Amino acid sequence: MRTNYRNALIGLALAAGMLISRPASAQIDLSGVWAPLFHEDQPERAPGPEIGDYAGLPITDAARMRALTWDASLLTLPEHQCKPHPSTYGFRGVGNLRIWADLDPATQQLVKINTHIQWQEQKREIWMDGRPHPPDYAAHTWQGFSTGKWEGDTLVVTTTHLKVGWMRRNGLPLSDNATMEDRFYRHGDVLTHVSIVSDPYYLSEPLVKTNGFRLALNGRMDPYPCESVVEVVRPKGAVPNHLPGTNTAIEEYASKHNLPAEAARGGAETALPEFAEKIKTMKVPPPPSPSPPSK
Amino acid sequence: MSRRLMVVAGLCLAAVPLVAQQQPPQGAPPAPPAPRAAAPIDLTGYWVSIVNEDWRWRMVTPPKGDYSSVPLNADGRKVADGWTPEMDGRCEAYGAAAVMRMPTRVHITWQDDNTLKVETDAGTQTRMLRFTTDPPPAQRSLQGFSVAAWEMAGGRGAGFPGGPGGGGGGGGRGGPPPPAGGRGGPRFGSLRVVTTNLTEGWLRKNGVPYSENATVTEYFDRFKSTNGDEWFMVTTLVNDPKYLQQEFITSSHFKKEADGAKWKPSACRTT
Repeated sequence: MRTNYRNALIGLALAAGMLISRPASAQIDLSGVWAPLFHEDQPERAPGPEIGDYAGLPITDAARMRALTWDASLLTLPEHQCKPHPSTYGFRGVGNLRIWADLDPATQQLVKINTHIQWQEQKREIWMDGRPHPPDYAAHTWQGFSTGKWEGDTLVVTTTHLKVGWMRRNGLPLSDNATMEDRFYRHGDVLTHVSIVSDPYYLSEPLVKTNGFRLALNGRMDPYPCESVVEVVRPKGAVPNHLPGTNTAIEEYASKHNLPAEAARGGAETALPEFAEKIKTMKVPPPPSPSPPSK
Repeated sequence: MSRRLMVVAGLCLAAVPLVAQQQPPQGAPPAPPAPRAAAPIDLTGYWVSIVNEDWRWRMVTPPKGDYSSVPLNADGRKVADGWTPEMDGRCEAYGAAAVMRMPTRVHITWQDDNTLKVETDAGTQTRMLRFTTDPPPAQRSLQGFSVAAWEMAGGRGAGFPGGPGGGGGGGGRGGPPPPAGGRGGPRFGSLRVVTTNLTEGWLRKNGVPYSENATVTEYFDRFKSTNGDEWFMVTTLVNDPKYLQQEFITSSHFKKEADGAKWKPSACRTT
């Protein structure tokens, strides 16, 4: 009798397990090599943004001030030459993206999804096994700590523990308090990546960006070795920068493209349709004067 | 023997509710729900485009000949070079291939159980997204003929290896999609829209062209951001054998607004 009772319990437990493990829906296979599409934001993402172009971004005054003190020569310093993009930016950068899954060999359950972006070998781990994020004092890294879940066919990833990084490659910073939720939508052989970045210091509201990839069936991933060298001989400890109020390049972008300086300065307001009307009432700076002839 | 029987019996009993749910009732099969009732996502309401990508090409009219990042062919470039600033503001800039890329608010409503209506205040355009198998009408138009379909999550049969229930099982290749979200859970999915029967239009305000042969495929997805804001994103694929070397693919995002207080229609010019 006791044996029958125990067996019944086993049967019920197994049945309950079946019900619990039944998927709410199947998940899309994201694995493969994906080629980035540069049909949007191409000047920013490929050759690089212009100095002083912050239009449309919900930046704070603090972010703008940091950006105006930034000097592109910073990237010539040996310790800055081999930096990968942070995960908050890497998916908008150049280089193929590879996605693959790690399965538990015993249970064949999904443990982790990995992404690798070619440029500077940005390797990211997205834990799918339900583990928590580490405590606040844990190390902050370029890619941060990411956990994922499925919403229907959409992979939704939460990232914390990021290093100080950037939201645009012209000095617009992100703090190490920034967090990101990113979402991967696959439609046929097109993958649309959505990033939602929050930063209590440098963003007045979440920065939402979207961009696409196309599945590359013959895609390849080359290594990206990087070794820093002394490109410019400088006094020890010298760091290229502009002290507040001394950056003379900040209006070049606006005047070159016939835009009001207020628009180029960015802020949440500049992304709204009504700002297009406001622009028409704003003063446009004169075009840059031609360089004096060289002697 | 007894243990085996009990285990098998338990499994069978547990499977009964699932099987029962999947069996159609006796007699005629029930009619599928109307698209409005079957919607896995709610796109209705007022939404505002947040222009933080391609800002210089969307918020202001770019200069003549600025078609950078659009994969135009030689014929396309020739047409784009024929644009003049006097043509700025014309309705060609608000056709179905580009209107969702405009700085605009959109108002989405159900016209009826089978038709989603998308209105834009920029250019004062109206798109009808029809859940239909009807053929397109003979007459072309700026917004063309848009055929819509829901893509239910899990219905495409390509499971990520090792995902819950994994092994690539998915929704079953070739079969009907399972009910999204299962038994009373949240529903997930996308809206797919294919638009044909277009008249010629512009991909950018400065006359970067698409032809009447263009086909526009769009995927609408909805999500919530970390601060609770509601969004939808539309991924737009423009295929034009006449003026494009390859498919032109962009994605645009819209934030939900509480009401139409900021709705401000502005007409485009027909000449």
